[in-house]
Amino acid sequence: MTPQDIEALVDDRPADGMFRVHRSAVREKAIFDLEMEHIFESSWVFLGLDCQLPEKHTYFSTYIGRQPVVVSRTADDKIVCFVNSCTHRGAVVCHRDSGKARHHACQYHGWVFDSAGRCVDIKGQKEGAYTDAFLREDHDLRKVRVGNYRGFLFGSLKEDVPPIEEHLGDIKTFLDLMFDQSPDGLEIVPGPVRFTYKGNWKLQIENGTDPYHFTSTHTSYIQILTKRTKSNSAALTSSIYQKFDENSILRGAFTFPNGHAALWGETPSSESRPIALNFDAVAKRVGGPRARWMLHTRNVSVFPNVQFAENAALQMRIIRPIDVDRTEMVTYCLAPRGESREARVARIRQYEDFFNPSGFATPDDTTAYEDCQDGNRNDALEWHQGYMRGMAAVRPGADEFARELGITPLTSIYGPFSLGDETVFHQTYRYWRDKIASGMRAKRCQRELEGV
Amino acid sequence: MADDAAVKSASELLYREALYLDTHAWKDWLDLFQEDAVFWVPTWKDDGEPTSDPQAELSLIYCSSRDQLKERIDRVASGRSIASLPPMRTAHTVSNVLVEEAEAQALRVKSVATTHVYNIKKREQNVFFSLQEHLLRPGQDGRLAIASKKLLLLNDYIPRMIDFYTI
Repeated sequence: MTPQDIEALVDDRPADGMFRVHRSAVREKAIFDLEMEHIFESSWVFLGLDCQLPEKHTYFSTYIGRQPVVVSRTADDKIVCFVNSCTHRGAVVCHRDSGKARHHACQYHGWVFDSAGRCVDIKGQKEGAYTDAFLREDHDLRKVRVGNYRGFLFGSLKEDVPPIEEHLGDIKTFLDLMFDQSPDGLEIVPGPVRFTYKGNWKLQIENGTDPYHFTSTHTSYIQILTKRTKSNSAALTSSIYQKFDENSILRGAFTFPNGHAALWGETPSSESRPIALNFDAVAKRVGGPRARWMLHTRNVSVFPNVQFAENAALQMRIIRPIDVDRTEMVTYCLAPRGESREARVARIRQYEDFFNPSGFATPDDTTAYEDCQDGNRNDALEWHQGYMRGMAAVRPGADEFARELGITPLTSIYGPFSLGDETVFHQTYRYWRDKIASGMRAKRCQRELEGV
Repeated sequence: MADDAAVKSASELLYREALYLDTHAWKDWLDLFQEDAVFWVPTWKDDGEPTSDPQAELSLIYCSSRDQLKERIDRVASGRSIASLPPMRTAHTVSNVLVEEAEAQALRVKSVATTHVYNIKKREQNVFFSLQEHLLRPGQDGRLAIASKKLLLLNDYIPRMIDFYTI
């Protein structure tokens, strides 16, 4: 596969009103391997939140692309990340999802590492008849570069990447809109939920900012909401979509460099939002416009592996590609610290209702991804036509809503909910294409220099 | 330990519950629950403990009324949820039933549930296994009914989805 082959997967001709993606992008193992190498393992990937490391020596384990890593708070209170693979023979040294440990000992040959990843003991080193060459080696667990934006932690296996603030760009504003809902920031409601689906990771990336599927994929959910509104029973969970009418509410989207995108919408029943219980105090602190944006629904995609969905409650979902046709989702319910018990209970019930793989919405999305993967088994149909809604309406740069937020996106679009914009995916696929192709070219140059 | 009659009636109720789920006799299943029954499936925290406070921690499913359970039934029965289109075929096996007397005529019943799930559309099968705890209490008609059911799903790395009837 050549860089040109990758570039040919995106039929990107805005002047002709055409944007298509080739369906092999979700199916070919060779493309998946290139995605891992040139996207996930060559740039910033989301790791987790700093609140997952509440004190010295606490840690959590996660992945950067295919590589297990550990994120840890050291004895001197620094957040570090290292490869979760012993320098001796490569065994995973940290086996739990999270915890607290001054040391991580490899269970195979007993090498010991501290909470900064430094090798502090090589079992039987004195008796080991090692050569000087061995002693000169760096035995520490391989360090991973960490970027920390207001407690949102990112890691990069490659050292030579721009600062995290630069990589995030204006998508930072959407992280702020979550973080600033409490003066003390965010916390995770205890209880992560993990599930998998038999489909490509990009199907989740797309769905996360896809307004078009809601009224067809989630008809059973909409039906439940209609019944709830009629019954008016306090026993049933309130929902922000209670007064849903796809022609009367406004929805918009922004795209940003580096593959990031955000979808926003007016909240049909904003009084059902937990934050509405505390709205005046929030507005006083962050200002009226920002507070109103906090009430909007927001679906934020920080490429390539994390999405934040704030409609019913607030979900953080970390996407881990396992294989070209298999993906793991690690999902968390986030909440502003210090919110009232009433708001917290409402938040948790709304979250379970909508987001869980045992809830009323997510299982239908996940099933649809698998249906896509099943349908895409060969090139009987080469191009997907699912990227062209909104092309006649999208504008370069900022619209009035972006200006209200003080951001400069690459593109802006808004319209009624029924617009179902799909231009929100364009920058993501352009970045995806360019990142892989440029990575392949750089690797080829490097090899030529080295005379391989 | 409860007496033989209590053990028999409690066990029978659990088997009946399993049968109603496996035959998609949704209304009969719902009728086994009291009006304000709690149906609770906790999640597991990273420390290896399940969540214990549904008002402060996340659950996979937390319903605190029969009306909420009915919403779940309506969704599966509507034919509009593609995750259950068609509904899975299931075989719930309930075993290791231990019945204890609880307060005010109530029985606390512990059991193990193994649920084989066949996804017709995907031609695929899964097994879910859990520790269950039922609190049974006589309803207004004197019949034993489910006041609460806590289902602790032991294999919670979820392939695609679960619902009240697949675990």
